[in-house]
Amino acid sequence: MIEPEVATRWRSKDAFDRSATLLIGAVAILAAILAILQAGNGLASTRAQAQAARLSADAAAKMSASSLARDAGLRSQQDALVLGMEAVSRLMVATQGGDTGLFAVGTAEQAASGKLTAAITESAATSGASPVDPYAAGLISATVDQLNAEVTEQNRQVNLANDTGARSQRAVLGLSLLTLAGVLVGIAAVLGRGRAGWATLFVASGTIAVTTGVTLLTVF
Amino acid sequence: MPFRSEPGLADLYRLPHTQMDRTEGHVDEVRAGMVLEAASVETASVKAHGDEGHRDEGHRGVAVLLGMAAILAAIVGVRATGLASDASDTWQSALRTEVKRSAAALNDIGYLYQTEVPPVVTILGTRMQEAELRAAAATETGPVADTLTREADVQASVLTAISSSYELATDPAYALPGGGVNLGLRLADLRNQTPALLALDPDTIQAAGDALGAKAASMTLPLLPIGVAALFAALAQPFAGRRRLLLAIGAAALAVGALGAVAVEVLA
Repeated sequence: MIEPEVATRWRSKDAFDRSATLLIGAVAILAAILAILQAGNGLASTRAQAQAARLSADAAAKMSASSLARDAGLRSQQDALVLGMEAVSRLMVATQGGDTGLFAVGTAEQAASGKLTAAITESAATSGASPVDPYAAGLISATVDQLNAEVTEQNRQVNLANDTGARSQRAVLGLSLLTLAGVLVGIAAVLGRGRAGWATLFVASGTIAVTTGVTLLTVF
Repeated sequence: MPFRSEPGLADLYRLPHTQMDRTEGHVDEVRAGMVLEAASVETASVKAHGDEGHRDEGHRGVAVLLGMAAILAAIVGVRATGLASDASDTWQSALRTEVKRSAAALNDIGYLYQTEVPPVVTILGTRMQEAELRAAAATETGPVADTLTREADVQASVLTAISSSYELATDPAYALPGGGVNLGLRLADLRNQTPALLALDPDTIQAAGDALGAKAASMTLPLLPIGVAALFAALAQPFAGRRRLLLAIGAAALAVGALGAVAVEVLA
């Protein structure tokens, strides 16, 4: 017969060993889950940051290119307008002074102004058109609506980078806590099934419980 | 040794006593005298050695499975980290390419619209004034015709001075029927002067980075069955009665993890 005292002692040792083993198993599983979460969120954060930076560069290029083309068109129209105003001024001075030669020059300038306006409109129609490559064409012809949509997407990527970055950091926190729990289980195994060993095991299980909470926060 | 075949002894060895029970002298059900006691101690010693050997084997199995899980986890982790690093590098490369591409395009667009277009508009205006003045001079006579001709000569002189510097204004390839210039064709020619910059494609690089990132994320998934393998290996230590089963499950999980990692490496 096994004496009750011996049996109790064995059960106690068994309970200690099983508890320590279960905690080690929990550490292994949680480590795997947190590693997966950290890698996934870290990658998503890096990608979103790069994508946000790309969209910023693209939006800035579109704003610059489209305004360059638009400003050039406006300046050209102003040049044609100035030529027309110069022609009108010549006509007025010629009329007041009775200068038929100057009047004829003014009339010719006025006609030239009209043709210049038409030529500028004709030129502007080819701005960003074929055979320009699609990328440059897209920069030149970018509209305010397109830019707004791009800025909205850029902001979404920044938010995504922040969110996944925070999740990645939480996963790292979980892994750090898990390392602590693993060390505590190891210390408990060294201390054995005495009071100190059980106390250390209890603290380790508390750390693993906190890590489980951190893992859930990382997921949801 | 006749006692070995006795059923009572066989039953004795099947008692749920541990080696500690025997060594502490609690095997007191045997009442067969000195010879039998000596024999039972001898046989118990043989059995104890057998159990110890079996237990050592079990311990070895736990140690091997835990070691293999650790090694496989390290390999998978290193590979996943490497892939993630490659993905990050590729995404950064896509960003640098995007900046380079936009800088190149802005350089060409800026040159066309800021450097070429303003003087070309002046040239077009001057050219049209000269044409209109000469057309008007042709319809006039006397001093008015002379004035118009002189003014046309002035415009022609200005035109000669400035137009030669601007290919956009002088190359017939860019001329449009209404007197304008083909800005699209001019920009395309400017862009084609640097084909290497024109060929920059950050979207393709980004897609390559995405593929690497997906592979890196997939490569971390086998860590889960490897963790399960470690769990069962650890459980096999205290649960000696089910050690074989637990080790078998752990080994199966480890195999799943290994196969998963190989599949990701080959297929992804």
